[in-house]
Amino acid sequence: MTAEGVQFRWMGQQAVVTLPAEIDAVNASTVRQALLAGARHDAAVLIIDMSRTTFCDSAGVQVIIDTYNQAAAARTRLRLVATAVVRILTLVGVDQLMPIYPTLEAALADGPG
Amino acid sequence: MATVIPTELKDRLRDIQSITNAALSRLDDDELLAELLERTRTVLQADTAAALLLDYSSGQLLAIAAAGLEEEVSQGVRIPVGRGFAGRIAAEHRPVILDHVDHSTVLNPILLAKGIHALMGVPLITGGKVIGVLHVGSLTDRVFTSEDVELLELAADRVAAVITSLMAKENRVAAESLQRSLLPAGLPPAGEAEMAVRYVPGHGRVGGDWYDVFTLPSGQLGMVIGDVTGSGLPAAVIMGRIRSALRAYALETTDPAEVLARLDAKMQHFEPGALATVAYAVFDQDLDRVRICSAGHWPPVIATLGQPAELAGIPSGLLIGAVPGAQRRVTTIGISPGTVLCFFTDGLIERRGELIDDALTRLCQAVTAEPPESVCATVMGAMVDRGPAADDIALLVFRRQPSAGQQP
Repeated sequence: MTAEGVQFRWMGQQAVVTLPAEIDAVNASTVRQALLAGARHDAAVLIIDMSRTTFCDSAGVQVIIDTYNQAAAARTRLRLVATAVVRILTLVGVDQLMPIYPTLEAALADGPG
Repeated sequence: MATVIPTELKDRLRDIQSITNAALSRLDDDELLAELLERTRTVLQADTAAALLLDYSSGQLLAIAAAGLEEEVSQGVRIPVGRGFAGRIAAEHRPVILDHVDHSTVLNPILLAKGIHALMGVPLITGGKVIGVLHVGSLTDRVFTSEDVELLELAADRVAAVITSLMAKENRVAAESLQRSLLPAGLPPAGEAEMAVRYVPGHGRVGGDWYDVFTLPSGQLGMVIGDVTGSGLPAAVIMGRIRSALRAYALETTDPAEVLARLDAKMQHFEPGALATVAYAVFDQDLDRVRICSAGHWPPVIATLGQPAELAGIPSGLLIGAVPGAQRRVTTIGISPGTVLCFFTDGLIERRGELIDDALTRLCQAVTAEPPESVCATVMGAMVDRGPAADDIALLVFRRQPSAGQQP
């Protein structure tokens, strides 16, 4: 499924949600639905793939924090892939909630947990 | 559609439709709604008309305007969605007609006390969403027809448009005045500390950015900059609560990490779901050093005389409201005379199509160890060159006065 550049897929036993190039208040609810749906698949590991994302404001940060809280309740472990927005994610402490990888391959290589 | 409406009613309908958006500017807000309800009542030859607004937070309908049924508004009638006559309309999103009004069909005692025999109501809809209910009543026996429903729905379109526009206006005005009331009117006199500020709302719409400066009973100087996620009135309200809570905790302890930890616990408990980034700095009375704790907020840019400015090396903790019990750390920075600290919110540096690191580099180049007013002007000039900002911008610049020998 794709909605406005959001995509969910399985990579083996790991679920991957790919996020769009820009995340702000305009598309935050689409991104939220995709991530929360991804977190409901009972995957052991959910990878939030932001490797294409070049802009993420506080609305995007809020979606990631909400996903973390939902995933924590479902015992799904989160990993995040980011390059351009890694600075903003680190600033707000997302790196304290889930490991951040430079590439999707690196995130997948850590195995299904 | 028009064919089922008799000519005489079409004329009356024109009365309702004549209230256009142009009239919004002429009539005062309350007058406009009252006029609309009066015309609705006349058009439908009814005895009462009332508009109720859906309050999503409480799940209740609140009477906001009425004609011939003014006590609904003055007594602050509230009807739970799903219950009673109006509650059913809101829950089912469709018109409801009551040919016999009694205890079994209505919840609101005012309708019974008034002696209303028959009622007809339709949902108020904006953008596919129910925002309230419009109903008319008859003090004598009456059977409302499908033509009546159609007319009331036309009136409801107009009423819904007016209410939506009034609410947007009210929210904007309220958010702006709230934001204004919360930003310090003046900065406290603080010895050798010089300060200047800028605040620019994004897209002409205020958000949750704020700054605060106060002296503590110990003589220390407290400085806050923060950004609540979201915009408009909801963000401004949360910002107001965070700001007062932080001030209260600042009186209890001068440890910035402890202040933010208490603030975080308070927000987690009372405002679940709200997120904010905050940096809180406490300057020693003699300004020799500052202790800073950041909850997900950008550290200040620091400029000392004769040195290029740089982003202060402050580890930032999780933003406020994210998860319970986040670690908070304090960084102590020495301040020599002439040093400038430039606190800012993300609106200053976040631009589509520009990497954050590039924007930070531009910011650091713009910050110099000059008087705060001129630093503010230079920074705004360098970072906000064209067009309105997409996001709020708050900028707070501090300088410790240079010693006599350093004066240019």
